[in-house]
Amino acid sequence: MPVNSKGEAAASAAASQTRTSAPKAKRKLRASALVAATAAAVLALTACGGGGGSETKSADGKVELRFAWWGGDKRAQVTQEAIAAFEAENPNIKIKPEYGDWSGYWDKLATQVAANDAPDIIQMDEKYITEYSTRGALLDLSKYDIDTSKLDAAALDAGKGEKGLTGIAAGINAATILANPAVFQAAGVAIPDDKTWTWEDFERVSAEVTAKSPKGTYGAAAYGTDEASLGVWLRQNGKSLYTSDGKLGFEPSDIAEWWAFLKQLSEKKAVPSASEVVEAEAAPLDQSGLATGKNGLAFWWSNQLPALEKAAGGELQILRFPSKTGKADDAELWYKASQFWSASSRTKHPEETAKFIDFLTNNVKAGEALLADRGVYPNSEVRDAIAPKLAKADVKVVDFIAGIKEELGDAPAAPPKGAGAIQEIVKRYTSEVLFDRLSTEEAGKKAVDEMKSAIS
Amino acid sequence: MSAIGELSTMTRRKGPMTKEEKKANGRDNKAAYIFLLPWLIGLVAITVGPMLMSLYLSFTDYNLLQPPEWVGLDNFIRMFGDARLHNSLRVTFTYVLVGVPLQLGVALLIALVLDKGLRGLPFYRSIFYLPSLLGGSVAVAILWKQIFGTTGLVNQVLAMVGIEGPGWISDPNTALGSIILLHVWTFGSPMIIFLAGLRQIPVMYYEAAKVDGATTLQQFWRITLPMLSPIIFFNLVLQIIGSFQSFTQAFIVSGGNGGPSDSTMFFTLYLYQKGFGQFDMGYASAMAWFLLVIIGVFTAINFIASKYWVFYDD
Repeated sequence: MPVNSKGEAAASAAASQTRTSAPKAKRKLRASALVAATAAAVLALTACGGGGGSETKSADGKVELRFAWWGGDKRAQVTQEAIAAFEAENPNIKIKPEYGDWSGYWDKLATQVAANDAPDIIQMDEKYITEYSTRGALLDLSKYDIDTSKLDAAALDAGKGEKGLTGIAAGINAATILANPAVFQAAGVAIPDDKTWTWEDFERVSAEVTAKSPKGTYGAAAYGTDEASLGVWLRQNGKSLYTSDGKLGFEPSDIAEWWAFLKQLSEKKAVPSASEVVEAEAAPLDQSGLATGKNGLAFWWSNQLPALEKAAGGELQILRFPSKTGKADDAELWYKASQFWSASSRTKHPEETAKFIDFLTNNVKAGEALLADRGVYPNSEVRDAIAPKLAKADVKVVDFIAGIKEELGDAPAAPPKGAGAIQEIVKRYTSEVLFDRLSTEEAGKKAVDEMKSAIS
Repeated sequence: MSAIGELSTMTRRKGPMTKEEKKANGRDNKAAYIFLLPWLIGLVAITVGPMLMSLYLSFTDYNLLQPPEWVGLDNFIRMFGDARLHNSLRVTFTYVLVGVPLQLGVALLIALVLDKGLRGLPFYRSIFYLPSLLGGSVAVAILWKQIFGTTGLVNQVLAMVGIEGPGWISDPNTALGSIILLHVWTFGSPMIIFLAGLRQIPVMYYEAAKVDGATTLQQFWRITLPMLSPIIFFNLVLQIIGSFQSFTQAFIVSGGNGGPSDSTMFFTLYLYQKGFGQFDMGYASAMAWFLLVIIGVFTAINFIASKYWVFYDD
């Protein structure tokens, strides 16, 4: 919406007129000021035009499907490999990838769906799946020929809702803290034992790393830019993000406590300054503090380890979240469907779309390409078949997921409609708190009010 | 409003037309419309059509995924209770009321300097105009973000003289200021118009003033400013309208969220977030129309006030 253009064109036209004859030109100038003013004002209203129909059949009679996902370079690379394997087996179907960063992905998807121009295959997140499925934008995949018999039951259930099976889990992951050993080594601090550490340990170790590191390097990244770490905190305190009937599962005082601890971390310089936290939010995965060696510890999903290792150019270590008691059994982690394969309910080629999702879910060749980038494969057969092919980083992820199986808490309630707005609210009030613009109590009250109205 | 009156006298015909004249006129009109056609189609398809659609949507609850539902004035009523919207208005007004006068001041100053008959004027003019072409672009907004970051160029320079600068763009106290600065930097287009206006002022006025012993400052206040007032007015109207609609700079610099803490949450950015991020397109459409009213009111005030300070020479 850069709206100046028309106004400026009129302006320069007017300017060139003034060079010629004076009184008449001035009159004209006033007239064009008026016209330009109207034109510019009108442009305010015509923000972004609609999309138009999409090409679904290419000239040679092939079916063309559009496939959208979010993610970084590594994901793009492995996904292209999977697409190539599918196209080799199905010469009549062509898959056109559309990918980008998380932040722009959802704005784009909402717009495409509204313009009746949705991609055929959509990588979906649990925060948005209820939003899209209850509003009829996603296809019920159970009606198509997709084999789900090999999927882990919990992963399969995560994609089921009132509108049927609208998403098939692409992978399983868990909320983790990743450690950059290089930062710890340089500071001469040992990486703590994640089976016994508490939040106090987290604070002490992080502050120590900061103190022993060069300026600008911190023991830990700040939490509060995502609701996952809030979810863990709440579960450890007997609460949850959401209840099973789609309400908010916590009180203002609960989130206020979480922020109070963050403030404490910030005061002890265990985490970066408020400004640096804001800047870090905008950085893509490759530029994150953990990858660039500016943070010793950071909050990430388990499946992001391989990409982060690649960006960091060295090994990283996966840690369980600290607990209140120092017992791994009380860390209250859970298995999350990292993302879903969903299909647009308006796809013109549901059969072919289903075929591709079936391929991604059940075909070993897809597994060999994707490996653990989207989390541990939910299909047990594929998981076993690709085990020997996994890179060292992938093995780490798979072992971690297997290792915490006995410690997991109950599965959390699915995020309700409107849950997509929660992350932004958490983020905004985290910076209000870090910049001392609101007390933790005030922020808690306001944030909970906003969250309640977002999911109501 | 004198300008509008002026406009109608310009188009008013004198005396009745003869038959031949009418015929010729009709032919001319037809030809004109044919030539206008490409523009007309564009106007209807990508301006008027969407405008009417958005007017309709502003009275509905529309979540993008399902058909819109009529809710009457609900969206407009909701705006009264929306604290974030009020904040976005505060941010936008600050931006317009601080940014526009500053930008025009800088533009006028540079224009005055360039008007002194510099050698290589076209070169300087182009150089100073360059930011105007670039300033609204994504690339420059990204560059701005780098320059004003915690470890950016500005703070590196400050560090040389022993000052530890804040994260200009990531601190809620300075973020809006950084974006206003970016806006001021794009002073090129009003500058070009000022230059053209300055060249219009007859030299004899200055010569007469000099003979009477007027100082340079007196000449500026008594001759340059009054003679330039129509141009200033023109620039003011355009820049105010343009600034109310600023979007790209805040969107890129804040990473799309108007942060930190909503300190750069422009009205248009909030509109975008509501519409495309939060599935609330009905509300977003209502906001767009509210913005039109605000801009309309400001423009009207401008035109009314112009009677008291704009001086027309003719």
